[in-house]
Amino acid sequence: MRFSRISKAVGVAAAAALALSACASTNGGTTPSSNAAGKQGGTATVVEVNAFNTFNPNTADGNTDINSKVSYATHSGFYYIDNQLNIVHNDKFGKMEKTSDDPLTVKYTINDGVKWSDGTPVTAADLLLQWAAFSGYYNDADAEGKAGTSYFSYAGDPTGLALTDFPEIGDNNRSMTIKYSKPFADWEIALGGPGIDIPAHVLAKKAGLADTQAFIDHLKSMPRGDAKAPKTADAKLKAMSDLWNTGFDSKTLPSDPSLFLSNGPFVVQSINQDQSLTMVRNKDYNWGPEAKLDEITVRYIGSSPAQVQALKNGEADIIAPQASADTLDQLKALESQGVTVEQGNQLSYDHIDLNYSGPFADKNVREAFLKTVPRKDIVDKIIKKLDPEAKPLDSQLFVPAQPAYDASVQANGSSSFADADVSAAKKLLNGATPEVRIMYNKDNPNRVDAFSLIRESATKAGFKIVDGGLGASDWGKALGKGGYDATIFGWINPGVGVSGVPQIFRSGNGSNFNKFSDPEADKLMDELIVTTDRSKQDDLTKQIDKKIWDSAYGLPLFQSVGVDAYSDRITGVKFMPNQTGVWWNFWEWAEK
Amino acid sequence: MVTYIVRRLVTAALILLGASFLVYLLTAASGDPLAEFRASSAPNKQQLMDSRSALLDLDTPAPVRYFKWLGGAAQCLVPFTGSCNLGKNIAGQPITDALGHALIQTLTLVTGAAVLAILVGITLGIITALRQYSTLDYGVTFMAFLFFSLPIFWVAVLLKEFGAIGFNNFLRNPEIPLPVSLGVAAVLGAVAVVVAGGDARRKASTGAIVFAAAAAVLIYFSVTQWFKTPGLGPVVIAIAGVGIAFAVTLLTAGLRNRKALQSALIAVGVGLVLYFVVQPLLDQATFLMVLLLAVAAVLVGMAIGYFMGGYDRGQSMRAAAITSFLVGFLIVLDRFMQAWPAYFNNSRVRGRPIATIGAGTPNIEGDFWILGLDSFTHLILPTTALILISLAGYTRFTRASMLEIMNMDYIRTARAKGLSERTVVMRHAFRNALIPVATIVAFDIGGLIGGAVITETVFSVRGMGFLFLDGIQHVDPNPVMGVFVCVAITAMAFNLIADLAYSALDPRVRVKA
Repeated sequence: MRFSRISKAVGVAAAAALALSACASTNGGTTPSSNAAGKQGGTATVVEVNAFNTFNPNTADGNTDINSKVSYATHSGFYYIDNQLNIVHNDKFGKMEKTSDDPLTVKYTINDGVKWSDGTPVTAADLLLQWAAFSGYYNDADAEGKAGTSYFSYAGDPTGLALTDFPEIGDNNRSMTIKYSKPFADWEIALGGPGIDIPAHVLAKKAGLADTQAFIDHLKSMPRGDAKAPKTADAKLKAMSDLWNTGFDSKTLPSDPSLFLSNGPFVVQSINQDQSLTMVRNKDYNWGPEAKLDEITVRYIGSSPAQVQALKNGEADIIAPQASADTLDQLKALESQGVTVEQGNQLSYDHIDLNYSGPFADKNVREAFLKTVPRKDIVDKIIKKLDPEAKPLDSQLFVPAQPAYDASVQANGSSSFADADVSAAKKLLNGATPEVRIMYNKDNPNRVDAFSLIRESATKAGFKIVDGGLGASDWGKALGKGGYDATIFGWINPGVGVSGVPQIFRSGNGSNFNKFSDPEADKLMDELIVTTDRSKQDDLTKQIDKKIWDSAYGLPLFQSVGVDAYSDRITGVKFMPNQTGVWWNFWEWAEK
Repeated sequence: MVTYIVRRLVTAALILLGASFLVYLLTAASGDPLAEFRASSAPNKQQLMDSRSALLDLDTPAPVRYFKWLGGAAQCLVPFTGSCNLGKNIAGQPITDALGHALIQTLTLVTGAAVLAILVGITLGIITALRQYSTLDYGVTFMAFLFFSLPIFWVAVLLKEFGAIGFNNFLRNPEIPLPVSLGVAAVLGAVAVVVAGGDARRKASTGAIVFAAAAAVLIYFSVTQWFKTPGLGPVVIAIAGVGIAFAVTLLTAGLRNRKALQSALIAVGVGLVLYFVVQPLLDQATFLMVLLLAVAAVLVGMAIGYFMGGYDRGQSMRAAAITSFLVGFLIVLDRFMQAWPAYFNNSRVRGRPIATIGAGTPNIEGDFWILGLDSFTHLILPTTALILISLAGYTRFTRASMLEIMNMDYIRTARAKGLSERTVVMRHAFRNALIPVATIVAFDIGGLIGGAVITETVFSVRGMGFLFLDGIQHVDPNPVMGVFVCVAITAMAFNLIADLAYSALDPRVRVKA
């Protein structure tokens, strides 16, 4: 009796064990035997602040830094920009050449063997798609947006490519030639790089076109959009542009691999929504600088202290946190464990601008005021704690990273504003005591400090300074609206390209908030934006810089400080001032 | 009752409407959505501003936009149509998707912490109430208030510095210097002196035993490099199992109930045998299997208790079931420890297991145990941080409630009847003391989802808090409203549940319509 009970129990137990093993996982137990896989090829983990959300970084919604960086690592093109802010051509990918100056004609030829990661060759059709999106050629929406269609929602500036006619495709769909109706200064960075990121054959297929030839033919058959005579939307182009606008948005790895094709050194392999993204080496890639690492993982960490601790704990290899005195101290403390900290100047800079109205309508008053701005003190108090070698920025149009900076500084007359000169200011004021209202973002501690220092110094010269500081959400709206005489805020130097110059300094333009107007400078700028030769561009820019300084426009104060740091596992990381950041030479990153 | 619930629901809906209107307007007015473009020198600045305005529908005044949003949100009330529309965020992601993901992230982060904080808090509260004004009581109160008043971002950063970076450094060469071992053991001994009841001699001997045991264990750990290859092994499981059997029996049945004690001990024995039986099975574990094994363990325990019988079968079954569950837990824990070296040496982990950020190591591959350890090493720090700061509330509340109950007339009656102190505390006092605590717990669960904003930021988890902050930063009401609606609905639902639970638990409280 007892025995039978035990045997029954054993039987039940055995049955239970069988049942349980049925729901066991199919892959055999890998533990506890020690992991024999060993060290894989080189990997690195890079920290970014924002989370990846689209494979098309060119749309208005998708053009955040992280999307651009991932696209940069997974696509190639005719050029990239190095950390000296030079345009470096990638001849292994193809050739971009100016074949004529008048009319400006640029021929793009893609080399044989360049292909997407699904094996389809990269052809002129892909470039044509980029041209169609970037130029806004087909858009015929009117200003109110009531009639017509705006096809591609491109985040960049279409004015350059809008000057071109429908391109000529040749060399068996390997080359594309665009002709500008008038010269365009930034033609080198207008198209074809740093990545050709959206494959035309995928769009064509989704829109029901047979192949890329049908795609080219279809685009060719459509006339330039005219906002004055809007037409009904073309269904096929609309389908393709809709896909271009939102179809590549994804926070997870799409199940359709054609949505994340690569033609660059890396291919996206996996995405963990809002946590990480992993890219592995593109096996086929040999048309450009070849990467040393096998795998790059991007992790998203918003707060700077958390980034530093992740680096310290080995969870991250490369970080580029927001530079602050605390962060730098924490990073410096890590140098003992082999971390390398790199600092440099970013392209954004703070400046004070004077309105050409009110008390500052008189140039002497402007000059007197600028004489009182203690630029050295401002740099000492605000930036020296981050970068002991910081100096005031001495050009309105160049940054020190650009070769033309030194020459421009010598000529533009900035030396007479090197530091506060109260007695000279007093002389210029000649006993007058103008009241000056300075507007700035009072939620930004750096701007508050700059304001206090300027107020202190200007008061000594006889200015009556009124604090016109506004909150973070209000100061931007107040720009250009009047109600202040001087304002302290920041610009971002584009680094490469000159299209941005007239936007700020040309009479009546959108970002010319202080109403600076100099007919000669206007003329120079008109010339600048149609000058295609880069050394001539520099000459013109230098002249404009001088004109701005001569008119006592305002003063650049200092550049923001950027920082990146990487662990002792990694080499090859180099500081980059522009928004590409450390990613600019990701192919040189390597494990030690 | 039904009228009451309906009335509450109607009020809740009205409150939700009013509050959401306010929150929408406040968010919309909280800043300048175009701020990032204002000082831009981009030639196509106007175009970018127009496109952002169109995206956020800025041309429509905020109150009108609210009703547009409400129109989409109202469709969420219609089930199964899938037309729920909470709008999109600035990156073009539908809020419903973003919310779904964020909710999972937040729940992973806070669930464990909430459960543990409740368990530990209530236990500490009861113990301190039973030992009112003892050193232990003062000690726990002091610690509770200390942690309660620490800012969580600071606690979290310290935890990362010492619990992750420091501990990982220690793991490189896990040798504990002798003075450290003795010091830690001395501290534990001192704690034991405080915790132990009885006269001075008993306290002293308990302290000495704990000191000796802790020192021995730490030295053993150091010599054998236990932290590199941790494990319990059948011997430790047996010893711990017997301890558990006694403790569980003490609480559930009293040691005088010999049948119950025997059942619990048999459960430990069976567990030890099964330890060897299930090892090969555990090598291929899945979550479902571990869950089924846990259920099986409880059933086996109940069976043991049932067959042991005795004058109170229920008590034996309970004691054996709880014991076998806990022994099963030890076996699983042991299996996790066996997987530790493989996890530790994983090429993705590179010998630094405790993480400071995120919810998992990117691209880690492995079986159930490796992945389980990965979640554990990522969750331990945020969980600890959350427990530390939420412990105080539960401890103090349970203590107060327990003290009140212990002074009730019916407790005196129970004692006068001659019931054992165990029965008085566990049966008569404890259960009634839990009634007010239950309502607090319900309230807290309601606030949990939106309440871990800082923890999320420090540990870089993109949950509800991140969604909320991101929405505020971009002056984009859609994500903010998504989070608000989720948090508000849970808070209101749990408030209602708390009220209903109160009346269900306490017969003196009746819901009147």
